[in-house]
Amino acid sequence: MKTAVNSTDTGTDRSTEGARPAHRLPFWVNQRLGLLVLIVALGALFGVLRPAFFDERLVLFPLLRDISTLTVVALAQLVVLSVGHMNLAVGRMAAFGALFAGFGYDRLGLPLALGLILCLIAGCAIGALTGWITARTGVSSFVVTLAMDFVLLGLVSLLYSALTENAAFTTRPAGLSELRSYSLADICLGPVCGSPAIPQMAQFTVLALIGLGFLYACTRMGRELLLTGANPAAAELSGIPTARRIVLAHALSGLLAALAGFMAAVSTGTFRASIGDTFMLPSFLGAVLGGTLLTGGVVSVIGALLGTSLVGVIRKGLDLLGVGLESLNIYLGCVLLLALSADRVRTVVSYRKVVRST
Amino acid sequence: MITIRDRAVTVLSALRRFSHSTTTTLLCVVLAGCAALAIASSGSFFEGPSVRTFLQYLATPILIGLAQMVALCVGQLNLAVGALGGFSACLMGVLMADGGVPAGVAVLAGVLTATAIGLVTGLFIVATRINGFIVTLGTMTILLGAQYRLVGTRTIDGYSATLRDLGRSAPLNIPLTFVTALVAAALLAAFMYRCTAGRRLLAAGGNPLAARLSGISTDRQIVLAHTLSGLLIGIAALTATASLPGVNSSVGGDWLLPSFAAPIIGGVALTGGSVAVLGTVLAAFVMRLIDTARAQFSLDPSWINFLIGLVVLGTVAGDRIHQSYLEKKGKAPGRIPPVPPDTEIQPATALPSTGGAR
Repeated sequence: MKTAVNSTDTGTDRSTEGARPAHRLPFWVNQRLGLLVLIVALGALFGVLRPAFFDERLVLFPLLRDISTLTVVALAQLVVLSVGHMNLAVGRMAAFGALFAGFGYDRLGLPLALGLILCLIAGCAIGALTGWITARTGVSSFVVTLAMDFVLLGLVSLLYSALTENAAFTTRPAGLSELRSYSLADICLGPVCGSPAIPQMAQFTVLALIGLGFLYACTRMGRELLLTGANPAAAELSGIPTARRIVLAHALSGLLAALAGFMAAVSTGTFRASIGDTFMLPSFLGAVLGGTLLTGGVVSVIGALLGTSLVGVIRKGLDLLGVGLESLNIYLGCVLLLALSADRVRTVVSYRKVVRST
Repeated sequence: MITIRDRAVTVLSALRRFSHSTTTTLLCVVLAGCAALAIASSGSFFEGPSVRTFLQYLATPILIGLAQMVALCVGQLNLAVGALGGFSACLMGVLMADGGVPAGVAVLAGVLTATAIGLVTGLFIVATRINGFIVTLGTMTILLGAQYRLVGTRTIDGYSATLRDLGRSAPLNIPLTFVTALVAAALLAAFMYRCTAGRRLLAAGGNPLAARLSGISTDRQIVLAHTLSGLLIGIAALTATASLPGVNSSVGGDWLLPSFAAPIIGGVALTGGSVAVLGTVLAAFVMRLIDTARAQFSLDPSWINFLIGLVVLGTVAGDRIHQSYLEKKGKAPGRIPPVPPDTEIQPATALPSTGGAR
């Protein structure tokens, strides 16, 4: 996991190599490194204050399960941000995908894997439709995905109330509860067993991270996505079919959102319309804290994981310290603003240093 | 004679331009919707009490739509609309019920707090140059937490009877809250169309570089827009507090999406520089009509979101098709302010709120 992730980091971090090729910025400007240090420091701090923080089964396992789900959500946002678009409907697309998975299990009696595939296809299709509308009409993706959010919010609730009795699919196919509660400790290679802290669901996140990392770092397609985001006009003139790339980005976003919806449904055990209600804020938090630009053209796949982890660690740590749920949001908002301001200050200071040294 | 003919020509061309605008379409939709509802309810839609409830719950959507419109016209987005409104409403309620503050003072304090928070948001965006989208996302999170901390799980209903009476009173079946919203809209329209400060706002939104070169501080306009937005949200919170049976932590939770839907349906461009006060008010009317129709035919509440989403999508797509059709015919209609057709064909792939991005 580490190597794949590292290669993506160097591959996609264009802010240093693209803008100022002659003078590399000092290493402490690297946002990812700062995030990692912050996560480790905060984890240690919470661990010292509340030793229960390192309880593998009761604290770390659910924490990592949440982080796995939300990282996929952040990646779904990251893909559209890479072409300079936004996806406000990321939570609803997750609910839409989960609806199909639940329908597949409940009505069609599908096995676990086929239901997941159905869910992914549904998410991909709705994402592609959104992307097609955006590219075809040229309307800002903000408006289109906002409208799509409205449409899906209504549609998913309507479908749930039409298809089910108590607005939830509760049928669980074989393997779902195992997927939910199994950790690496349940998978043994001979005598060696994994850590009980790492949930089995993290496999989806790792797959998504590797897949996207490979896409952005090693493929022509990924480069074209980034170029489309950085400068659509230049991309169009250099022969990139920008409309098709935009559709692709939205389709991928829908796919990842549906995957996140499936993971959220698995971790709660039921397929409900409220899945994904809270996804919009974390999707932006994770991607933006990790260094992905809202204006497009710069992404950091590993940054999405780190940003999401930071938010998750803070949330869990404050929760353990006895800070009430109501105050958590206040602190999270402050952390977001502080982190971004600090990042801004750091960039400005280091840029001045580089300029002065020339 | 000639002057009269000249005037007639001017009026006619103005009328023709008006007939091509979004506002006219919306006006027709509103009239048709009212007629349809009147037929469906066999006339009871135009009776006193039903007109009263219709207008009673129209005040807040109009005001939040206008608040979002002010932010949009300088090219900013305000995601904190719902959170700020809910927070101010709860603040007023708590001040009156728990603090024993007289209604007038509490209302003033609430509106001023909302304005001050808008001002601080604007200053923060300008000072740090962080994208306004992210900053308001942060303030939204903070305010949600603050609102929850203020009221917790209670519903505060023990506040001033005077305010409640004012909120319920409706001379000639026209509620005072609705009059408040209309007065606010009229003042805003006068500010936007007739004042130098309002024109400066639009100039800064339409083309920041040109505005700066002609001596307009774009930073100051961004701060002003967010302050105005805060003020309008404060008034919206006032109407909500006055007309609702009580305030709790769910007030403002469903404001964000309608606040975007009203200006977008009303014909305001997300990229900034355009304003449509009447259009926004009419769009709020249309959404309220959908809501009333839903109640009339006793459908699932989810239909509202579904339909509003479709209406938004239809509006933006239809507008785009209409524009390209007119361009083909070679006479683009003068919009307010006239947008050169070149910028209209360009896909609006760039992020709408680039105000603090550089």
